[in-house]
Amino acid sequence: MQTLIILLGWTVLAWLLVRATQPPADATAPQSAPFLGGGTTGTHAWQRYHFRPYTMTLVFIAFEMEMMFMYPWAVVFVSEGIKALAEMGMFLAILSVGILYGWREGVFRWE
Amino acid sequence: MTALLALAVLGTLALGAVFAVAMDGRIAQLAAGFARQRIETEAPDRLNRDLAAVWYLALAAAGLSVVPFAPGLALIDSPVGIVIWGTCEALTIITVFLHGWSSNAPFPLIGAYRYVAIGLPVMLPSMFVLIAAALPAESLSLPAIVESQRGMWNVIRQPLGLPLFAIVVLTLTLRGPMDFADAADIATGTSAEESGAARGLWEIARAAMLVSASALAATLFLGGPLGPVLPGPVWLWIKTAALMAIFAWLGRRVARTTPSRMLTILWIVLLPLSFLHLAMAGVFAL
Amino acid sequence: MRLSRLASRAPAPVFGAIGPGWQVAVERLLARSGLRRALTPRDAGILLVAGDMPGDAAEALGRVHDQLPHPRATLRWTVSHETADAVADRIVASWRDLGAIDEADLLPDQPPNEWKGVGPHGQGGKGMMGGTPYGRPMAMTGEDIRDGLQLDRYTARIGPFAPMLPPGLVLEVTLQGDVIVAATVQHPPFAQPVDADAPELCAARMLTILGLDGPARRAIHGRRPGGIWVRGAVPRGLGGIEGAGDARDRLAAFLGGDRAAVTAPDLSELLPGLEWSEAMLVMASLPPSAILRAARLPEAA
Repeated sequence: MQTLIILLGWTVLAWLLVRATQPPADATAPQSAPFLGGGTTGTHAWQRYHFRPYTMTLVFIAFEMEMMFMYPWAVVFVSEGIKALAEMGMFLAILSVGILYGWREGVFRWE
Repeated sequence: MTALLALAVLGTLALGAVFAVAMDGRIAQLAAGFARQRIETEAPDRLNRDLAAVWYLALAAAGLSVVPFAPGLALIDSPVGIVIWGTCEALTIITVFLHGWSSNAPFPLIGAYRYVAIGLPVMLPSMFVLIAAALPAESLSLPAIVESQRGMWNVIRQPLGLPLFAIVVLTLTLRGPMDFADAADIATGTSAEESGAARGLWEIARAAMLVSASALAATLFLGGPLGPVLPGPVWLWIKTAALMAIFAWLGRRVARTTPSRMLTILWIVLLPLSFLHLAMAGVFAL
Repeated sequence: MRLSRLASRAPAPVFGAIGPGWQVAVERLLARSGLRRALTPRDAGILLVAGDMPGDAAEALGRVHDQLPHPRATLRWTVSHETADAVADRIVASWRDLGAIDEADLLPDQPPNEWKGVGPHGQGGKGMMGGTPYGRPMAMTGEDIRDGLQLDRYTARIGPFAPMLPPGLVLEVTLQGDVIVAATVQHPPFAQPVDADAPELCAARMLTILGLDGPARRAIHGRRPGGIWVRGAVPRGLGGIEGAGDARDRLAAFLGGDRAAVTAPDLSELLPGLEWSEAMLVMASLPPSAILRAARLPEAA
C-alpha cells in the first residue's frame, strides 16, 4: 500500500512540475507543419507503420516469460545449489537453440 | 523517516540532474530554452505529449525510491525491489515511444519505433544482470543485495555486470551509442518537433533518469551506501556521481551504429554474454 | 533575472540554411565555440542564410524560417569578404538581444489543406481511411520491397535545408516504416567549391551521423577527432561502390586525410532498399561533388 502511495505521489509531483514549467503550446499554421528541411508532405505521419523487427518481438516475449521463472529461481538458487544451476543451464541452452534458429531465419534484422 | 527518505530521493534527483546537465555543459542552454516559445505541431496527441515527460520523471523517481540510502534503509523497502526497477525500465520504453508518437511528424515517429526495436532486446541483458546480482543475496530486495556485498563488491565477483548495465543505462537515458530515439540522421528524432520549455523538460527528465540508473548501478555493483568513515548516503552520492561521469563520457565518445546492426549485436553478442555472466555469477555464488 | 543572465551565456543555437558555394564556410563557422549547430529549427534561435538563395528555394526557406520558435532572428551572410569572426559576432549579438528583434511569419497563416470530413475531428468521409482528418489524408498501403507486406507508404519531399542531406538537395522519398522504397531527386544539391570535399569535413559529416558531435567539431578544426569504435560502427558492405570501397572504407580514408574519388550511382538507385539511418550514413560518406553528379533529375536520368 505504501509503495502504491509513493508511486502515485511521484506521478502527481511530476505532473505538477510539468504543469508549472510548461507554457501552453501554440503555433500558426506554417509554424506547426512537420519539419522536413523545408519540404512538404501530403499525408499525416501517423500510419500503419511497418515495424521492421516484428518477428523479433515474438522471440522477445518468449524470453520475457523466462524472466518470470528466473525471479523465484534467483531467491532459492544458493539453497538449491548445483541442481538449480543445471536446471537453468538446460533452460537457457534450449532458448539459445531458439536464438540460433532465429538468427538463421533473419529474425534479428530489419525485415 | 519515510518523509526524510522521500526528501533524500527528491534532493538526489534534483542535484544529480543539475550535475548531469552541467557535465554536458548545457546549463545555460537549458535555461535559454525555457524562455522560448513552445510550438504545437499539426494535430498532435496532446495528452500523451504532456504525459511522456511526466512518466519519464515519475519513473526516474520511482526507480530511485527502491535504492537504499543507508544499509537497510530504502524509501520503498520492497522484497521485490529489482522487479520494481525492471518495471520502470520497461515503462521507459513506452514513455519514449509516446514522446515520439505524440507530435504526428515523420522524424519523431521513426525515432520512436526505432527506440522500441532497440529498447526491447536491451531489457534482456538488463534482467540477467539484475538477477545475477540477486543470486549471492538470495533475495530480490536491494537492501539485501547491498548487505551481500559487505565482503566483496559485485563489480569484482561479477565482472561483466557493470559493462552490460552501462548499455542499459545509455539506452534508458538516450545517450550516445544507444540514443536511437534522438539521433542526428532524423534531426534529433523524438525531440525534432519540440521547442522551448518542452525540449528543456525532456532534457531534465533524461538527466533525472541518468541519476536514478546510476544510483541503481552503484547499488548493484559498488556496494551502494557501504563504505568506511563517511555516512551511507554520502558514499551512495559519491559512487553515483562517479558512475554518471563514466556513463556521460561513454555517451560522448562511443559511436552509434545503425539500428538494424545494433539489433543483431544485442541478440547475437550481448545476450549470450549475459548468459555467460549469469553462469559465472552462479558458479561464484555457490 | 539571474536565469536570463545565465541564458544569455548559452551558445547561440543556429540553424544553417546553406546556399550555393557556402557549405564549407558555414560548416566551419558552426563548429566554433559560442555557436551551436541546431539540427532542427525547433531547437534554433537564429536562422543563418548563407549565400544567394535561388528563387525556387525561397518558399522552402520561408517554411524553415517559420518553424523556428519565437523569439527568432534571421541573419544573412552573402558577401564573402565578411569574415567568419564578424558573422559569429553578429550571431552572438543577435542571440543576446533576440527579444528585441523577433520576426513574424513569412508565409500566410493558412492550413496546408482545406478542412474536409464529417465528424468533429474531420473523420468520417468516404473511403476506407475515413476522410481527411484535420485537413490531411492518411497514408495508403502498398507492397513492401523487403518482405512484401501491405503496409502504409509515407511520401514526403525532404530538403533543400535538411541537416542530414547536402544543402539544396530535395529528395522525394517514399518510406515504408523507416526503409526507403523509392527516391527521386526533385532538385539537385547546390554546387559547392572543391574544398567541400576536404577529408576533414567529409569525416565530420559522418561523425555527426554516428552521434559523435565532439569528435566532429575536432575534425573540422583539423585536430584528431578521437572517439571509440568509430570505423567499426559503420556496417561492412554498406554503400559499397565499385572502385571506392564501402562507407567504412571511405570513412577510414577521410580520417586518414585522403580525398575519396567516388563515382556514385544515381541516387534513385543508390537509396531505395536502405533503412533511413543507413541511407544517411551512405550519403554522408559521399563527397558533395560525387552527390552532385549522382543527383540527376528524373527526366535527365
